[in-house]
Amino acid sequence: MTTFVTYNGELKSQEELEQHYKPVKVSTWVRLKKHKVFYTMLFPCLVFFLIFSYWPMLGLVLSFREYGFNTGILGGDFVGLKYFEQFFDDPRNWIYIKNTLIISCLKLFVALPFPIILAIMFSEMKNSKLRSTLQSITYLPYFISWVVVVGIMSRLLAPDTGLLNQLIQKFGGDGSTFFMMEESHFFPLVFISYVWKGIGWDSIIYFAAIMAIVPTLYEAASIDGASRLRQIWHVTLPGITSTIIILFILSLGSILSAGFDQIYLMQNPGNANVSETIDTYIVRTGLQGGQFGYATAIGLMQGIAGLVLTIVVNRVTSKKFDSSLW
Amino acid sequence: MSKSMETPLPLRILNLILIGILCLTIILPFMHILALSFNNGMDAQKGGIMFLPRDWSLENYTEVFKQNNLINGLMISIFRTVVGTTIGVGLMAMAAYALTVKTLPGRKYITLFIFFTMLFSGGTIPYYLVLTDLNLTNTIWVYIIPSLYSVTNILLLRTFFNQLPMSVIEAARIDGSSEFKIFRTIVLPMSKPVLATISLFTAVGHWNDWYAGTFYVRDEMLKPLATLLQEMLTRQDALADILLRSSGSQAYEMLDRVSITSESLQMATIIFVVLPIVCVYPFIQKYFVKGITVGSIKE
Repeated sequence: MTTFVTYNGELKSQEELEQHYKPVKVSTWVRLKKHKVFYTMLFPCLVFFLIFSYWPMLGLVLSFREYGFNTGILGGDFVGLKYFEQFFDDPRNWIYIKNTLIISCLKLFVALPFPIILAIMFSEMKNSKLRSTLQSITYLPYFISWVVVVGIMSRLLAPDTGLLNQLIQKFGGDGSTFFMMEESHFFPLVFISYVWKGIGWDSIIYFAAIMAIVPTLYEAASIDGASRLRQIWHVTLPGITSTIIILFILSLGSILSAGFDQIYLMQNPGNANVSETIDTYIVRTGLQGGQFGYATAIGLMQGIAGLVLTIVVNRVTSKKFDSSLW
Repeated sequence: MSKSMETPLPLRILNLILIGILCLTIILPFMHILALSFNNGMDAQKGGIMFLPRDWSLENYTEVFKQNNLINGLMISIFRTVVGTTIGVGLMAMAAYALTVKTLPGRKYITLFIFFTMLFSGGTIPYYLVLTDLNLTNTIWVYIIPSLYSVTNILLLRTFFNQLPMSVIEAARIDGSSEFKIFRTIVLPMSKPVLATISLFTAVGHWNDWYAGTFYVRDEMLKPLATLLQEMLTRQDALADILLRSSGSQAYEMLDRVSITSESLQMATIIFVVLPIVCVYPFIQKYFVKGITVGSIKE
């Protein structure tokens, strides 16, 4: 049993202490008043989310109503499931869903190991000065906007004068490929540029998790005769599993969103068939086309799918791996 | 220490080579763009420029500075970055600190209220309509006000504040300092890494944001640099556009200056947009690893 020493040197158990020092009951009002300054600090924040997050959620009723310029965000006449039917009746929309799923699966699943591998590779570097320099270089693309990244890509991949095409020419190819315009190159380019931009940054958290693994685990493994590669497999990877899972759940909410900036900026008439995703379609029909009700309905489906998926996966992993978001 | 603790040498060399290649794929493209931006535009069209300019020229940059809309865009970008970051980081730090006060009645519900917006949102269109209802669209405030708070940043700040030594704060409380004074003179100075990180995130977010300028603003004079660059890259011929914008004799004067192409102008603008980030980055970089990893690992 834990014992405590009181101010006059007596030894008391926790129960005894609690009996002596019963917490004074304070009325809720007094407690609220005591925290006035903290509520003041929080107030603008709550107002902000009420206006910019919860008010738009209210605007989701627009999915079931006709939008009119004078009826505002809550919309006019009730139209039922008209917009949802309209969406599923159009066969082109299935292509957009497919494109979205392909891109988001590439990003969520195929791209997942890359930052982890990079973090492990960094953790194996012993020269910490060189390592942190190289690490800062790999973080850099994260801070460069997609506008610039796509701009650089278009230049490097331009026909004839682009760096890649010139290389192809040197090796005897014709070097006039329009990489950015051709359908067949769209998904690989999306994938490569996505990994390139995020690999360094995403490795930070994994790297920190690896650094937090207690060194004695490695010592024990090496005494057991495990080679370095086996140690990575049996100590490092299990050590960062919970970090991997949490980051994965967090990213799942965006499964029906393939990342707006990158895709919108990489779109052009040449790749239109594979580059239209749900996100870009919402912007095209809604913001640019003015079909507010229809675009809201699509956004609603996207949002619900993301929410449900996050909750379900979180429940599964919290039972199976004992790591969850909440 | 036994021998197998060490990574074998060939593996270490391979490791270094692979990481080196990754770093080169990051540095070389920027060097290529830099070389093109300092090269005579007409000459660059012949191709063959790698990482050094062949026909040195500053004309692309002087042209950027002659573009009134680009200079105006730069001003807008600087304004929103400075104002948006200062106010935003201050407000987020206050909110996050209040959320760490364990005795605060209703703390759990307030946190949930904020956190839920990360999982679900009204989507693009209702959000846009709210901005229109508030008369924010087509004003400069559409850049500042809707991006004052970010849930991820609040959570990061909160985690960091939670790790601060409570004893220091308690001591100040017993000394009779007001809660706000404690926040300002004790909490904030102890939180430099996370504040630097959040400031960098927020500032870079403002600087890079082209979306608001493209979809929420119609007035040309309100468009930030990022939006102008995006328009420039989308438009196939930026030079034709310059000719359209400039009037009369000026247009003929421009036609003479064929050493600049739309391509070379774009390259100079790209460098112009990237430069501030690359310059600030090394100074803040040392903070942000500490700033984002604190508390993000479950042990």
